[in-house]
Formats: sequence, structure tokens, C-alpha cells
Amino acid sequence: MKTSQEARDAVGDYKSGWHDTENSTIRFDSGLSEKVVRDISKIKNEPEWMTEVRVKAYRHFAERKMPTWGNMSMLEQIDFEEVCYYLRSSSATENDWDEVPEEIRNTFERLGIPEAEQKWLSGVTAQYESEAVYHSIREDLVAQGVIFLDMDSGLREYPEIVKKWFCSVVPYSDNKFSALNTAVWSGGSFIYVPKGVHVEMPVQAYFRINAKNMGQFERTLIIADEGSSIHYVEGCTAPTYSTDSLHSAVVELVALPGSHIRYSTVQNWSANVYNLVTKRGIAHENAKIEWVDGNIGSKLTMKYPSVILKGEGSHAEVISVAYSGSGQHQDAGAKIHHLASNTTSKILSKSISKDGGRGSYRGMVTVSPKANNCKLNVVCDALILDDESRSDTYPTMEVANPTARCEHEASVSKVSDDQLFYLMSRGHTEEEALALIVNGFFEPFTRELPMEYAVELNKLMALEMEGSIG
Amino acid sequence: MNAINRYKEVSGTTDKADHLWRYTPWKKVHPTGDIKIVPEIDKEVKLRLINLDETDLAEGISLQKENVLEEKLEDIDPVATSFMKAVSEKSRWVLRTKRKFTSEVPLLLEIEANSGFNSLELVLDIGEMSEFEIVTLIKGESDWTGFLRTGRIGDGSNINDITVCLQKKGVLLRLDSIALGRDANMNTGTVSSGSERTKADLRYRMAENGSHLQVLGSILSRDNMYLDYHIEIKHDAPETFSRLDWHAACGGKSRTIGTGMLKVAKGSTGTDAAQNFHNLLLSKDAEADGIPELEVSESNVVGCGHGIANGPIDENQLFYLQSRGFSESDAKSALIAAFLNSTLVKMGSTGLHGWLSKLLTSELDIMNK
Repeated sequence: MKTSQEARDAVGDYKSGWHDTENSTIRFDSGLSEKVVRDISKIKNEPEWMTEVRVKAYRHFAERKMPTWGNMSMLEQIDFEEVCYYLRSSSATENDWDEVPEEIRNTFERLGIPEAEQKWLSGVTAQYESEAVYHSIREDLVAQGVIFLDMDSGLREYPEIVKKWFCSVVPYSDNKFSALNTAVWSGGSFIYVPKGVHVEMPVQAYFRINAKNMGQFERTLIIADEGSSIHYVEGCTAPTYSTDSLHSAVVELVALPGSHIRYSTVQNWSANVYNLVTKRGIAHENAKIEWVDGNIGSKLTMKYPSVILKGEGSHAEVISVAYSGSGQHQDAGAKIHHLASNTTSKILSKSISKDGGRGSYRGMVTVSPKANNCKLNVVCDALILDDESRSDTYPTMEVANPTARCEHEASVSKVSDDQLFYLMSRGHTEEEALALIVNGFFEPFTRELPMEYAVELNKLMALEMEGSIG
Repeated sequence: MNAINRYKEVSGTTDKADHLWRYTPWKKVHPTGDIKIVPEIDKEVKLRLINLDETDLAEGISLQKENVLEEKLEDIDPVATSFMKAVSEKSRWVLRTKRKFTSEVPLLLEIEANSGFNSLELVLDIGEMSEFEIVTLIKGESDWTGFLRTGRIGDGSNINDITVCLQKKGVLLRLDSIALGRDANMNTGTVSSGSERTKADLRYRMAENGSHLQVLGSILSRDNMYLDYHIEIKHDAPETFSRLDWHAACGGKSRTIGTGMLKVAKGSTGTDAAQNFHNLLLSKDAEADGIPELEVSESNVVGCGHGIANGPIDENQLFYLQSRGFSESDAKSALIAAFLNSTLVKMGSTGLHGWLSKLLTSELDIMNK
């Protein structure tokens, strides 16, 4: 484990930028500056080009204004100077679970990560604060040439691949938060699946914020080479503090011709986390990208998984659910850009608002003038469970090709009295009946998840629905 | 503060993030392009209220120039409205009906603007339990025409209100801010195939219990037309009903935009509301954009929904008509007419529909030439 002095040496004359805490080996002081950005790069011993990208991104972040749409009053509450941008709790990324520091190991064991790895998964990365603390992948996949590393190791071991694709899907100038992530990113996953390799079982990353006022900025890059396939699953949690934390990730997917990437997320951040994430994939000829996205926790989520259908015959699907409880605003949606002919896409979004929560679908689909015979379908359903809550839908459709067939439909309603009455007549209490209806409402999403995630989601929803009646 | 100062205070506040201004920024609508300027009206707009069959008007309706009191308009864009208030100071009219005014014959309000820059404010003061149909026809060759319409539909009234936009050129800025009284029923339609650029911001508020609104659009854009319609419906009272059905056929190098906002305020229990946008793309250079938005803050609603569909002319329908002896262009024309007629037919009585369809047919003929 690095001592305080070693850490000081690593960041040079940056004397007051960090301090030891009981569980951390390095913790930067709160606040963001070009020096903090350079120090993060230096401590990771990164190549010069990455440092330069980080610095350019930081400058862009500093100049760029906050979005003038969405929940501006919540966004204005973010104090970027109060956030800690780098915290390392373990000196290395281990591939043996027993080598992970005990207190971190306990956290992930309580979350069921090692058990899931044995039963269901091809590989696992566990990230605690800014760095990955554990990483493993099945040996047969390594033999087939599959690369599954944390992003920092990926940059060290495969700098050419990372340099080629990093920021190629989400440029740092895309938005204020992608600029922030590019400036201070740490951890995340790097995956390369060689031509024709099918990774049959999902790989998983689990992200945990543990410290107060922490910012987690993981960066994930997945490249599926021609004819390959992979399913990546991520889960996120954080403890509840009275002060806010910031999670601002960037995920880039590259689906080369004929490949298939499915990216599933169950986000269950605590209600003090700002979850401002940019997720985007590029699908080449006949490739397929699917985002399966569950948003349960966080104070404010702004997340619009996107797909650029660049190659002819490519396909995109986004299935998302959002649950907004007291004080929460789930501003989630999807974006799909049809740039090539014969491309198809489908968006299904479901949201539930309760106890004064606000659920918003914000989406965009575009068809470019040269993209012939595109088909797209968007469906948004929302349930409002009480008088305090709110549901919004903001879909944008821009169609510049006369051969495109595009449909969007949305509905907002309350829980059907008939359904409640029927279930209660079969012996369920009103609360059980409501939980069953809510689980049924989310069913198109849960059936797309791996089994253990679907079970976990149903349990989480049952917990959220407790006390809904009376 | 007078209207000019009020405008100058807010003139630079439009934001692309606001969907009202997403596609057409204010400077593209402003008569000079320099948003700081408040130009003088060139010449007054010609206004005429008659019966559609040119018979005498029934008793109880009047159209007159009046000094309108400066009322605070709710839920309306401050920039375009304050601009219109500022430039319409010398051209403010009130269309008033007495309580229980009834007209068996549809009314025609002609607005003709032929000089460079024209602007008009019209206040609707519709008495309780009035019942009539009115067509507002905007025509002429002015470079810029502004039309602000505000007012209230009286309790228990039942009106069909159709606005037909047929200017041969120029820009049209059209603003509606209309509140519906208790149990009032309003059918409001737009038929548009004119102006080079239209920016419309049409807002309706279901202000009292039991109000009922239907908003309809039959839009035919051709050549280089650019028609941007924003329609906002707010449910502010219980047991209110609204439907928006908007059909746009888009040919040549034209572009149509339809943005809709449906707001259901807390306490508007029993709201039943839906919005539908349908776009028919007729040429490879045409574009149709849409953003139907929903903001629902009340859980006890009958239902709130919206939909949007874009597509080309259905090939099966085209094939069927050709197999029955239609030429390809006649078959296309018939299908476009049918598409636009599906909203047109709901706009008024049978007699009025005949008048509107004749007008639409002549516009289709112009497009086919």
C-alpha cells in the first residue's frame, strides 16, 4: 500500500491537494483545477497524449455553461468545488478476491458480487471510489483473445487501441459533463472482443461510491469486432449522506460490422447522488446495440443512452425504466440517429412517480436525408401513483427522408382501479396488489435482465412500494 | 411600463433549449432580424366581418377598434407577445358577442395585409352560451404580418373557429392566448398553405370545469415554405377534455414543424387529453420535425397521451387507386387530400367543410402544377 509520502512524491509539489483518511491511501482535497487534472494523470503515470486530452477537456468544462434545459434548479445546486475528484482506497487492482482490502471486500460481499461471479458471469470488475479494486475474467475467454480490463490497465497495456477509440464516440466537447469526465476520469472498463468471438455469459462491473462528497468518473470503452457479441452488466450503489455526491460517467460502445453489444444497467444510487451520465454507441453495418437501463436511485439522473446507426442494416434498442421517489427526478430517455439506410430502432420507456417524485422521458430520434427505408418506434408509458408526483414526456423527432416510417406514442395514467380490485378479490392486500401491478408494468424491462438482476430489481421495487397505501 | 419598454427588457431572452424556439430563433421571425428594433407599422390591416354567404350579420356581434386594457397574459411567451403588443398599439380590435348570440350562417373575418409590415391584435370577448362558426382568413402580399389573438370563450359557449393562412409571401407571426370558460366547447382549426415562413404559438387554457377543446390542423407546405407551429394546451380545472389532431403534408423543399405541449396542473382531476401529430413526407428534400410534450402533475386523470407518426404515402393505397384507373399523380393527389381532409372534416358544419375543401383543393392544384 502506498504511504502518504509516496503519494506526495507521486504528485510532486502538489502539497495540499490530498490527505490521508482512515480508509484511503490517496485523497485529493475537494475542488477542480488544471493542476488537479494533471496530477490525476501523473499519479496514474499516463502517456502525454492522455494528459493533453484531459487538460483540453478541463478547459472546455471550465468554459462551458451548465445546460439550460432539464432540472436547472437541481443542477445549479451542484458545487463543483465541494467534490473530491480522486480517492484511492486500495493500492492496486487485484485479481484474487482474498487480496482485496478487507473492508472493501466486506462491502462487495454484502452486495453479492463474488457469489454472482461464480454463478452467472464471465468476468467482473469492482470499482470502489475512483479505482478498480478487483478484476477477473474467465481463462477460456482470455485464450480466445477477449480483453476485459479496468480502463487504467487498458490504457497501460493497450495504449494504441485506447488512443484509436477514446473520445471517438463521445468527444469531450459533447456536453459539460462529458468534458468533466474526460478531464478527471478514473477506472471503468475496457473491453475488446475479437472477430467472431461470442461471450456467452455476461461480464459485470460494479461501481460503489463510499466516501462523502465523492465524485466518481469512470470511463468505459467497449469494442466488439466483426461478428462478435458481448453482454455487459453494471450495477451502482452508494451510501446515504447528508451531502451530495456526483457520478458522471462516459460510456463509449463501438459495434463493428455484424457485432452485437448489449449494455445493461441497474442504477440504485442513494438519494444524494447526482447521476449525470453520457452513454453512446456507434453501430456499423448490420451491427446491433442494445441499452437496457434501470434507474431507481439518485437525486437527479440525466441519462439518455444513444446509438448512432452509421452502417447499413444496423439496429438499436433502448429499454429503460425509471422509478422516482421523494425528492428524486429521473430525467432519462434515449437518442437514436439513423444515418444509414435500412436501419431500425425501438425505444421502450416506462416510468413510475411516487411520493412527490418526478419522472421525465426526454428522447430524440433523427433520420438523415440519405437514410432510406428506416423504421423506428418509440413507446413511453408512465404511471403516477399519488397527487404529489409528476410525469413529463419530451420526445423529439426529426425526419428528413420521405421513406422513413416513424412512430411515437406516450401515455400517462394512474394505476387501474379494475386491476387493483381484481387482485384484492383474489386475496392480496392493497399494498401487495399495487406491488404486483408495478412489477408487471416493469416486466418488459426485467425480462431482458440476467436472472439475478431481475430478482434484485423486483425486490428493490417491492421495498420502494412499502408504505404506498394509507 | 409601456409595451415597447417591456419588449426591450425581454427581447434577448429566448433560448434554444425552450422547444418553442428550438427550430426557429426569434431573430428569424422578427421583421428586421435585429431583435432590438421595434418597427413602425407601414399601413393598417384591412379588416372585414361578414357572413360567409354575404347575407346580413345576425344581431349581437360586433367588431370594433378599441383601446384594450393592458391585461396580464398567463402562460404565454413574453418575447413574441410583448413585441406584438408593442407593434399593435394602433391596431387593436375587439370581436364581441352578446350573451346567447347565435348565428346560423358561418362568419368570415377577412384580414388583408398588402403593404410591407403589418400587425394586428384581436381580442375575443365571447358572451356566455354563444353559438356560431367563424373563419378567419389571413391573406395578402405583405412582407411581414403579425396576428395576436387573446380572449376568453364565455361559459357554455359552443364555437367553431377556423383560421386559414393563405398569404402569397412573407412572414406570418401568429399568437393565440385563449381561455375557455366553464362548460365552453371550442373547436379550433388551422388550414395553412401560405406565407414563406410561419411561426405560430397557439395556447389554450382550460380555465374552468368542464371545458372542452379540439385543436385541428390541416397543413400543406410546398416549394420552400417553412411552417413552424407550437401548440400548448393547459388543463387548469377538473373534468376538462382536449384533443389535438395535426396533419401536415410536406412537399418540395419545405419544412414543417409541430411542437405540442400538454400541461395538466395539479388539481385538474378527471382530465382527458391527447395530442397526435401526423406528417406525410412527399419529396426527398422535405423535412418534418415534431416534439409532442407532456407535463402531468395530477395522478387522478382519465388519461393523457400523445403520439407522432411520420411516413410516406402508403404504397398499397397508391397501388389500389392506380388499379382503379387513377394516374399516379391523381392517386397521390387524392391520398394527400384524404390525409388533410381527415382533420378538415372535423373543423365545422357540412356547409363550412364544403367551403374549406374547395379552398384546399385549389391549393393542391397549385402544388401539382
